[in-house]
Amino acid sequence: MTTAAPIAVGDRTIGAVPKARPSRRRWTWLGLLPFLAFLFVFLLLPTYGLMRKAFLDTNDHFTWSGLTDAITKERKAFRQSVQLSLLTAFLGVVFGTPLAYAAATAKRPKWLRSLVSSFSGVAANMGGVVLAFAFISLLGVQGLGTKILKVLGWNLYGGRFNLNSFAGWATVYMYFQIPLMVLVTLPAIDGLKDSWREASANLGGTTWTFWRRVGLPVLAPSMLGGFMLMFANSFSAYATAYALNTGANLVPVKISFYLQGDIAGRSPIPFALATWMIIFMAISMGGYFWLRKRAERWRS
Amino acid sequence: MGALTFTGIRKTFGTNVALEHLDLDVHDGELISLLGPSGCGKTTALRIAAGFEMADAGIVSVGGADLSDVPAHKRNMGMVFQSYSLFPNLTVALNVDYGLRTRSIAKPERRRRVAETLELVELTSMASRYPHQLSGGQQQRVALARALAVRPQVLLLDEPLSALDAKVRAALRDEIRRIQTEVGITTLFVTHDQEEALGISDRIGVMSNGRLEQLATPREIYRHPASAFVARFVGSMNELPATVLGPDAVEIGGLRVATAASAGFTHGESVALLVRPEDFVAHLGGTPSAENGLQGTVTAVTFQGPTTIISVRLDRFDKLVSAEMNTAVAPIVIIGDRVGVTIDATRALAERADPAVQPARV
Amino acid sequence: MAVVTGAPVKRVRRRFGRLGPNVILLAALIFFVAPLIAMARFALQSIPMIRLGWSTLFDRWSLRGLTDAFSEPTFGPTLILSLKLAAGTVLATLLLLVPTVVFVHLKLPKARSLVEFLTVLPYVVPPIAIVAGVAAFFRPNARWFLNSHYSLIPFYMVLALPFTYRSIDAGIRAIDVRTLADASRSLGAGWVTTIWRALLPNLSSALISASFLTATVVLGEFTIARTLLIETFPTFTFEYYQKSPQGGIALALLTLVASTALLGVLTLLLRRRARRRGGTVAVNPTVAVAPTGGDALSGATAP
Repeated sequence: MTTAAPIAVGDRTIGAVPKARPSRRRWTWLGLLPFLAFLFVFLLLPTYGLMRKAFLDTNDHFTWSGLTDAITKERKAFRQSVQLSLLTAFLGVVFGTPLAYAAATAKRPKWLRSLVSSFSGVAANMGGVVLAFAFISLLGVQGLGTKILKVLGWNLYGGRFNLNSFAGWATVYMYFQIPLMVLVTLPAIDGLKDSWREASANLGGTTWTFWRRVGLPVLAPSMLGGFMLMFANSFSAYATAYALNTGANLVPVKISFYLQGDIAGRSPIPFALATWMIIFMAISMGGYFWLRKRAERWRS
Repeated sequence: MGALTFTGIRKTFGTNVALEHLDLDVHDGELISLLGPSGCGKTTALRIAAGFEMADAGIVSVGGADLSDVPAHKRNMGMVFQSYSLFPNLTVALNVDYGLRTRSIAKPERRRRVAETLELVELTSMASRYPHQLSGGQQQRVALARALAVRPQVLLLDEPLSALDAKVRAALRDEIRRIQTEVGITTLFVTHDQEEALGISDRIGVMSNGRLEQLATPREIYRHPASAFVARFVGSMNELPATVLGPDAVEIGGLRVATAASAGFTHGESVALLVRPEDFVAHLGGTPSAENGLQGTVTAVTFQGPTTIISVRLDRFDKLVSAEMNTAVAPIVIIGDRVGVTIDATRALAERADPAVQPARV
Repeated sequence: MAVVTGAPVKRVRRRFGRLGPNVILLAALIFFVAPLIAMARFALQSIPMIRLGWSTLFDRWSLRGLTDAFSEPTFGPTLILSLKLAAGTVLATLLLLVPTVVFVHLKLPKARSLVEFLTVLPYVVPPIAIVAGVAAFFRPNARWFLNSHYSLIPFYMVLALPFTYRSIDAGIRAIDVRTLADASRSLGAGWVTTIWRALLPNLSSALISASFLTATVVLGEFTIARTLLIETFPTFTFEYYQKSPQGGIALALLTLVASTALLGVLTLLLRRRARRRGGTVAVNPTVAVAPTGGDALSGATAP
């Protein structure tokens, strides 16, 4: 039953707010069809395809062996990926939070916060090849930074450092992890109301009291969320690691290695690795979003 | 010697003079409101008392003790902020407990005081809720409890009702006054809402541009404003252009109006005469023969129950004035009726009809 | 009456209070700018590191590394392909998302949270997983699809989906879609005209933002192209580096400069628009990742 006199155009009735008859309501979902179809074909089907290849053996029976084999065969890659992600996420929190705080509370110059924010937006998304090359120029064997440090007395490559190694990857990863943390944390720090600090002082608390009992607890969900986001970001990063070292022993690089070598796609290993990756990402991103919701609850 | 005293306080922010020279003495147990438009310095004065701003000159003292070198967190004052001051990660009880913990009070005593203060603000049932689960009014009551739990010497309130809905505002306003008198705490209340100030204060300090224009009881402020600013800010005022005839009369539109407001002005000077709506009387049909009468047309009639406001556009000046009359005696008029308006200018104020305002004399 | 000037101790402490943050900002500045400087030097100065010293600091700066790369036969084709892919992705994204978002806002508000959730899924399936999925599903079942280079476009759309959706959604929320649409329809316009003439002009900021961001993503995308062995500009850059390090790095520098310039133009454009309309500006490329609740604007504010 429609209320106002509707204007009929084509087979749709516009201009009135109809009390939806069930059939009318079902038809409106059709409008989402292009979008849903697009996602179905280009996101869902590939995902389904790779999971299928991961979980089915040569006789098309369901098996866990694909996933377990992937871990055992590529144990080192897994370990390094996880360790690298945990490390860079942790360092991202350690360095990113103070940086975000410094930028958020800077009163002069006025454009500082805006600059940090914009730059972080760019740096967080910086393509792997560009970033890798930049760091090769800086800290590679022939790097400018390497040379400067040598002049200052520190032979970077005399020890165990190598841009192609774990420590090198971690250093390069910080270039996009820290900005990512800054982006996520800036709003959280903005959400720390001045009145809380003043109320704490008024009630007798020192700066430390405030941070310990109010500031850090309120920031904690955002910081933890940032950690999970950075973990996901690092775990799934391919281009940077590959550009630094095409044979890097990390999960994403391994996946592409298998895929490029095995055109027919017989081995379930790359697909199992990809499935594992999706699992990790789902957990981390899910955690991030859940924590973000919790943090926002306090901010309103 | 009062419980809270400002002596010669001066504060500038860059080139902006927030407070020129503030002398204010809040008596023990008294509630003084600082009333004024935004930018008048009232909040600055409060924040200086709390220790969040340092005065450029002058002393703040509590019970005679100079607080100039005492940092904010050692001043033992309770403060209620305009909004959002409750710690979001702590329950209501833990919020109220906060100041007690910083003072290292023993746990049983803390628990007792928290319960006591929550009961004072009638929120005992909300003790384990979180701030985001409370309404605005409830949050402010918790803020009040939190401030009072530490038994401060002075209570500072920074526009605590401004962020609330109108209905909640009125109820909470009375609550605050009730609690304040019950506890008997010296209180400084900052607001821009004159109704609020009139309703709860023992005395009101009306401020403008960093100066205290008048410090008096609400009744004094309303009936005998010390300046045109105060007269306009508190309650409403009609303004009429007038020429001074002498120390006891002015001339408005050819009519002689008796008033004491013209004392101190020279003969022939142009002034604006400020008269309260309740000192205007509207007469049906116009009375051209009355000594203080002016003619005009009714533009609006607002029935308010016990009083009725009749808005009149005067012929002589094309000015809109309001007469607020007791409904029982107000003439029954509709828009467009012709009326005559008489003025009782005994309590009127005059000010120079020139933007460079000289303070008017009553 | 003593005249007390605020406790000097406090004032000194305040100045020191900014020392820590300023040191942090300075350290950050060094860390983030140093690689860029190093890259520029490597690309534009043809002196090997061994010979670089104070005396040779200003020698042999030239664009030779870059110009040599230009003369590489695959330079042109890959650059053009990347540009085409960028344009195609932008167009396809707008064509798909604008009607969808408008539709959801006007007709199907209940679906909003579902759609928002769906647009976040690409995070859970990162590029390397997508390419595995492509290998798993499209290679055996729809090989014909992968024959064209343009097959990258839909996958790039998926990649950019979180950003672009958020951008457009924020833009739509900022204008009163319902009123505009109703006004337009009541004046007799059909749906296409309504979108084209009533809604799109008011969404221009969000659309420009989404387009530029998409373009930046596509022009830098390496993972999918590389694994599927399609030669785009980024993969060419990488390949060329193997042959001539200076050239490869010069190309990377070019990419960086171009992206930054793009972003700069975008910011200026949006600022000018915002100033004309008195609105605010959303430039943050990671707008989808940073929290919402007004934070789509957290990227940049016109000072």
